[in-house]
Amino acid sequence: MGLLKWFSSSRPAVHKLPSGSFTVDRHGKVATSTVVTDFPVSLLDDIAKEILSVFREAHAAQMPLAEVSLDFAGLQISARDMQGGAIIFLSPKNPLATASPAGSKS
Amino acid sequence: METKHKILVLDDDADWLETCRDFLAQLPSEPEIRIASTGVRALSMLDAQPFRVFICDLNMPRMDGLQVLSIVRRRFPNLRTVVLTGLQDDQFRSRAYALGVDLFWLKPDMQQNSQMFLDCIESLLGREDSGGFRDTQAKNLLDVIQMESISENSSVLRITSGQLVAKMWFHHGELVDAAAEGADGEAAFRRILKWKSGTFESLPAEPEHVRTITKSVDAMLLESSQIIEKAVNPTSAEELAQQKFVGQLAEIAVEGAEFLVSVPAKKEITAKAWGTKNTEQLAAWTRHVEKAAQRLGETLSAGPLTHISAHNLERHLLLLPQSDKTYVVGWPPEAMPGHLFEQSKKLTKSWDS
Repeated sequence: MGLLKWFSSSRPAVHKLPSGSFTVDRHGKVATSTVVTDFPVSLLDDIAKEILSVFREAHAAQMPLAEVSLDFAGLQISARDMQGGAIIFLSPKNPLATASPAGSKS
Repeated sequence: METKHKILVLDDDADWLETCRDFLAQLPSEPEIRIASTGVRALSMLDAQPFRVFICDLNMPRMDGLQVLSIVRRRFPNLRTVVLTGLQDDQFRSRAYALGVDLFWLKPDMQQNSQMFLDCIESLLGREDSGGFRDTQAKNLLDVIQMESISENSSVLRITSGQLVAKMWFHHGELVDAAAEGADGEAAFRRILKWKSGTFESLPAEPEHVRTITKSVDAMLLESSQIIEKAVNPTSAEELAQQKFVGQLAEIAVEGAEFLVSVPAKKEITAKAWGTKNTEQLAAWTRHVEKAAQRLGETLSAGPLTHISAHNLERHLLLLPQSDKTYVVGWPPEAMPGHLFEQSKKLTKSWDS
C-alpha cells in the first residue's frame, strides 16, 4: 500500500477545464461559486484577479466596460462587472473535457 | 411618380440636427430631411439610399467632417456636398473646397442669411433637373463629363481655358467626339483633360455630328486620368499613403465598424488607428488584457487565445491577436454580437492583404 501511495502522490495534478460561475467582490475574494469543488480555489482566485484587473484598466483608459469575454480554443471566460466586483462564467468548449458544476450529477 | 429629393445632415450636436431639420423643411421643393450624428452612420445611410445633398459638420469626434467628406467624394461623386460648421478658420474652408465641396457655410452666417442659405440648397437640389451643367461652381472637368454621361444628356460641351476653346459632343450620355488644339477624337479628349482650369458651357445637341470616339466615357476617363497623373503629376509617397488611409477608412465604414486600431506587440512601436483618436489608451489596455488572457490560458491549459470581446453602452470591442500585433475593432452598440468575430476577421483579413 505504501508503494502505491508513493506512486499516486507523484502523479502531476491535471485539472479538467472548469465549468460554472462564481462571483467575486472588488478585492477578488470569491463570494459564491457553482464551479466543481475539487477545482482549486487558488485558480479561481487567479481568474478573478486577472478579470478584475481587465475591468480596472479599462476604467483607467476612460472606457469602462460592462462585460468582457476571453475566448480560448478550449474555454470561454466571460465576466460581467458588478460595481467593482464581477460575476464570472466559465464555459468549456469541448464537452468531453468539462468538470461538472458543483451539485450537479454527471 | 415624382419622388422627393433627400438631404442628409450630419452633425454630432443633436439639438442642432433638430434645428436644421426644421429649418430645411422650409425648402420649397419639400425634400426629405434625414439626420445622422456620426460619420459612420452617415456613410451607411448614403450607402443604403440615394441622397441629393449632404450637409456635413466639420468638428466631430472619432471621424471628423473632412475625413467623412474625403470618403463621400470618392464613393458618391455625384452627391452635392455642403459644409456647415462653426469653425471660422479659412484653413478649413480651403481644405473643404480642395475636397470638392459645393458650398461652405458658417453656422452663424446660415442663421443670419437664412433665405440665402435656403436658396443655395434649393439650387443644389434642382441643378440636374434643369438639364446638365450650366455653371462652373466648384466642379472639375471630370465631374462635368461624368455628369453629362450619367444624366444621358445630348449636348455639346464647350470648354474655354484662357485663349483655348474645345468642344465635346455628347449623344444620349455617350461621348461621340472631341476637338481641341487642332486635334480631334481621343487625342483631343486627352489634351482637354490636361487643362488646369476653365469654364464650361452647354450648347444645344448636334445629333448629326460624326462619331469618332467609340470607347465608353468611363474607359476614356480612366485611361486618360492614369496617363495624365503619371506624366504630369507623379504621385508622391505621402499622397499614396493618404489615398490608402482614406481607402481603409472607407472599408471600415462599409463594414459598419466604428474604428480599427492595430496594436503592435512591442510597446516601442506606436499603434496605428483609423477612425478613433483614443489610440494610446486603447493600445495600453489592449496589451494589458492580452497579457492577462495569455497568463490565464497558460495557467488553465485552455488552449490558444482566439479573441477577446468586450462591450459597454457605447460600443462593442473585438480584439483579434495576431503573431506580432493585435487588431482592435470598435463596433456600434446596435451591432449583432454573434457576428462580430467573423466580421472583424473579415475586415482585418482584407486589411492585411
